[in-house]
Amino acid sequence: MTQHLTEDDVRGMAAYARIGLDEQELAQMTVDLNSIIDTLKPITEFDLEGVPPTFHPIGSLSNVMREDVEQPSFAQEEALANAPCQQDGSFLIPSILGEGGDR
Amino acid sequence: MAATTSGAGGIMQLGVREIRAGLAAKEFSACEVAAAALDAIAARDGEVHAYLQVTEDAARAAAERVDAAVARGALDELGPLAGVPVAFKDNMNQQGTRTTCASRMLEGYVSPYTATCVQRAIDAGGIPLGKLNMDEFAFGSSTETSAFGPTRNPWDLSRVPGGSSGGSAAAVAAGMACVTLGSDTGGSIRQPASFCGVVGVKPSYGVVSRYGVVAFGSSLDQVGPFARSVEDAAWALAAICGHDARDCTSQPVGADFLAAARAGAQGAEGLRVGVVRSFMEAAGLSAEVRRKVEEAASRLEDAGARIVEVELPHAKAAISAYYVLGPCEAFSNLARFDSVRYGLADPGHKDLSGQYEASRAAGFGIEAKRRILLGSYLLSSGVYDAYYYPAQQVRTLITRDYVQAFEECDVILSPASPRTAFSFGEIEDPAQMYLSDIFTVPINIAGNGGMSVPCGLGDESGLPVGVQIVAPQFKDENLFRAAAALEACYGPAPVAPAFADGKAGE
Repeated sequence: MTQHLTEDDVRGMAAYARIGLDEQELAQMTVDLNSIIDTLKPITEFDLEGVPPTFHPIGSLSNVMREDVEQPSFAQEEALANAPCQQDGSFLIPSILGEGGDR
Repeated sequence: MAATTSGAGGIMQLGVREIRAGLAAKEFSACEVAAAALDAIAARDGEVHAYLQVTEDAARAAAERVDAAVARGALDELGPLAGVPVAFKDNMNQQGTRTTCASRMLEGYVSPYTATCVQRAIDAGGIPLGKLNMDEFAFGSSTETSAFGPTRNPWDLSRVPGGSSGGSAAAVAAGMACVTLGSDTGGSIRQPASFCGVVGVKPSYGVVSRYGVVAFGSSLDQVGPFARSVEDAAWALAAICGHDARDCTSQPVGADFLAAARAGAQGAEGLRVGVVRSFMEAAGLSAEVRRKVEEAASRLEDAGARIVEVELPHAKAAISAYYVLGPCEAFSNLARFDSVRYGLADPGHKDLSGQYEASRAAGFGIEAKRRILLGSYLLSSGVYDAYYYPAQQVRTLITRDYVQAFEECDVILSPASPRTAFSFGEIEDPAQMYLSDIFTVPINIAGNGGMSVPCGLGDESGLPVGVQIVAPQFKDENLFRAAAALEACYGPAPVAPAFADGKAGE
């Protein structure tokens, strides 16, 4: 198995993806990801010079537009109904900048 | 096959057309159908665990609407699924139900709106029974990654039903619904249909609206039906397909799936059926599944079809392309779970970033984390050029392969899955699990429609085997023609023997 990623790499990716992992999870995840990335190798083995990419399966489709008219949507109460924390009709979150933050 | 209509066991074996005929002849009411379905779930689902939620009130209300229409002589005004017990994969929003995607992340989430496919099934007269178990966020091929426990295969409770739409397949196989909806990103309809011995259709990308279906891989996801007969699947797809202004990838659909199914039931005269040698010789394909596909080809030939050999030289790269594109799209789609607007929030954090990390750590299961991190890696600078962009180029090559192959045939016949249903815990290595999808993934990449059709039991395992039929893009009617021709040879899918009767609280 090729070492595509170190534990430090995975730690960085987890921070970027906002997923906390403990040391044991980090070690296992590093093993799993390296093994999976090994199986992706065929992608790197084709001669793709001049081959255009296909980003979605309906080739002729791009930028579907509609008239810019107001449409019924959720009332505030409905939009907030699934929020874990709310206050005064708004989503409630902890400080964005943390304790050291100064506003 | 004279199914008795007295008692839940009888009603739950009926198909769409039989239910409609029974309602018209006043042999039973839609309320009796709903009651039979709810009884069947109560009696059987303790063993199978296909349902995450049973929507008894919605079922009874829908049945009453159907009965009211029948009473005023207006059955003809009802849609094609009038009185048909239906159920939905739990990644489909239905207002007032929990939509969990089988994840702790969405355990308490109550849908404020309804997905187009769900709405159309209900508008067509369907009786909505509930929400069905799945692999968490559809990441898996066995339903073992559900945060709420796996679904068991009705043919053998020690085995998986396949996945990710395992609950959708198992509910139909165990006679706990007539029609269910699932979603398919890399095989998640066709593989469980094959494992549970039912019909499962993944239409061409764009045939069914995904509005209101929780997104996994937006360039790959497609919704489709499960049923015990090709005709029932055709009724269901006809009810849910077509353009929807809320999903800009959805397309107008003019094809008549029912007519195609009826034509196929008369035989396969003139049908050109492609067989791919490299698929039949693939490493990992079990001998019993290979024999079944060969048998299906020869039965179609007996029914008048012409078998032609076609090649898909780049299809072998599809699985790698899929495990590049799928995780990248999942990484992007799952960024929405921010612990603020909805979903699990881990309380008591000093700052938002701490809340994000702890909430996403607690809310996502291990497979979801793997896919998100894999996507994060593959999209990172430098790596993007090595995998993501080439995967999209390989996608072009695979698509061209299909276009070329379909110059010589109307459908391609192949295995749906390399093997029959495996036991719980049998496949633990994620990279091995991913190989479950080798025959299904290529058409998610290319956008074509595909269908798994039951063709009896494997001669070694004694478990259901499905063969896969693939059609040219937006020629999904070809699927129904070929599938009906096969069904004429093998018969429609039975309810799994252990659930065929006597287990419905009669």
